[in-house]
Amino acid sequence: MELTRNLRHNAVARLKPTPPHSVPPDATIGDAVRLMRSKHVGCLLVCDGKVLVGILTERDVMTRVLAVGRPLSDTVDEVMTAQPRTVCSRDPIRRALARMEKGGYRHLPVVDDGGKPVGILSVKRVVHYLAEHFASAVYNQPPAPRDFPSHRGGA
Amino acid sequence: MICPRCGCDNVPGLDCCANCLQDLAILDQPLGHDRVESSLLADRVGALKPRRPVTVSITANMRDTVALMIDEKVGAVLVVDADGKLTGIFSERDLLTWVADLPPEKLESHQVSEFMTNAPDTVSPDDTLALALQRMDVGKYRHLPVVEDGRPTGVISVRDLVRHITRLCRE
Repeated sequence: MELTRNLRHNAVARLKPTPPHSVPPDATIGDAVRLMRSKHVGCLLVCDGKVLVGILTERDVMTRVLAVGRPLSDTVDEVMTAQPRTVCSRDPIRRALARMEKGGYRHLPVVDDGGKPVGILSVKRVVHYLAEHFASAVYNQPPAPRDFPSHRGGA
Repeated sequence: MICPRCGCDNVPGLDCCANCLQDLAILDQPLGHDRVESSLLADRVGALKPRRPVTVSITANMRDTVALMIDEKVGAVLVVDADGKLTGIFSERDLLTWVADLPPEKLESHQVSEFMTNAPDTVSPDDTLALALQRMDVGKYRHLPVVEDGRPTGVISVRDLVRHITRLCRE
């Protein structure tokens, strides 16, 4: 099957992971929230210099900050997920999907051969890839699938 | 278009055979080329077993809404009016964008209706998976409410759909 083969042979780089936005571990949660908001992303990498040390998602903000009433002046390294699972940009897409599903992740940091973060793969990219794969089935939709006219139009 | 029943040669695009009234629409419907595409075209949203919806009333305040999202461990809650009809959706993204830096004691004085997304795109349990995938891709949604007669009966997430497709590839 074509998709099965492509998932095995296409590399993660083919999904065009979004360039990462990162914050240092000693940034405040408030700064991180502002950065997420201004960049319209739900996920930040926490990098100490060029080394990936953690990941902070909007879900972490919800469950570890808002849920427990933690002040936004605390630092990011107290609420981030340390040492996140990553994929290499040359890994097959299948591996990225398996990791996302296994861990229940919506985002995976993409790293190069040296371990330097080069992007973030979000599940939305995966959806877009799948939709493009079946373009004719997915994009050919009647405008309102339930609203067929009951009578023939015309004079 | 040759009618499969009587063999009459019809004008292309006819809905039914001019000779025997056999339904011809089926000849123009797209067919899946492989298992995944066939599933997208034939299987319905109901087959994904949508999760039970987590709903709040449109009059709920933000404190209760956030508490509910955290208790239920969901990324989005559906907002319903007094009749139980869906009027909006409030997601993690809305939380991050509008609520995250409000002081906790202020949450009670805001209503969920101030920050929710009004009249969200929905699917019905009888819609095809292809339609759900199209809605999610085009709208960049992570959650789609499943609605019957205006009332929410479930939620499907982007992960349900990706899981369904990758499973078909593996088997």
